[in-house]
Amino acid sequence: MKAEVRVLYFGAAQEATGKSEETIMAADTASLRNQLISRYPALKQIPFRMALNRTLLKGDSGLQKSDTIAIMPPFQGG
Amino acid sequence: MKNIPLQMKNSCLIKGPITPVLISELMASGNDDAGAGAVSIFIGRVRDDETDGKRVTAIEYSAYEEMAVKEVEEVITTVRSAFSDVRSVFIVHSLGVVMAGEASLFIMVTSGHRDHATRACRHTLEMVKERLPVWKKELY
Repeated sequence: MKAEVRVLYFGAAQEATGKSEETIMAADTASLRNQLISRYPALKQIPFRMALNRTLLKGDSGLQKSDTIAIMPPFQGG
Repeated sequence: MKNIPLQMKNSCLIKGPITPVLISELMASGNDDAGAGAVSIFIGRVRDDETDGKRVTAIEYSAYEEMAVKEVEEVITTVRSAFSDVRSVFIVHSLGVVMAGEASLFIMVTSGHRDHATRACRHTLEMVKERLPVWKKELY
């Protein structure tokens, strides 16, 4: 079942989408990823990872209402 | 630590460069532990790299702050459990604009003896690079 989740964009993903955040309906992270890439083709060039509620995802995950997903390009700290 | 905000006691994200004054205050903050015979510090600075004939004059850093704070805490916990002689770990990273030559990352590890201080400092640095959700934008 689809849930309304908060999606945050960081770094180059912010430039690719022109947004810092929005809400999107998605059932899981795999379908969210596909949805984002078709909505924002420029995201395809960015090897982004996702964090679910501030924790980096290692695989795919289901989504629940009020989850927060962060779209994170490779980290560049330091 | 009188000029350092309370939430920075161990580590944090600060706006702008990590100034020499702040660095000296951070260094002094470990002074009250006389058992810490070794202090190892890493300071990362913005480099004036040249790309396509343009020279970097500054870097603007951004972060997923809520996650970065959590990651920093986890890094510190991991380092402390991996190096038993470590007595404190400080991690400070800049946000916003930092000019070339200015410091944007400060790591300080204190320990009883030199071996764990130097190794844990390096380990902390690598974990910060790998785990901190921070991004940069070069300004020319």
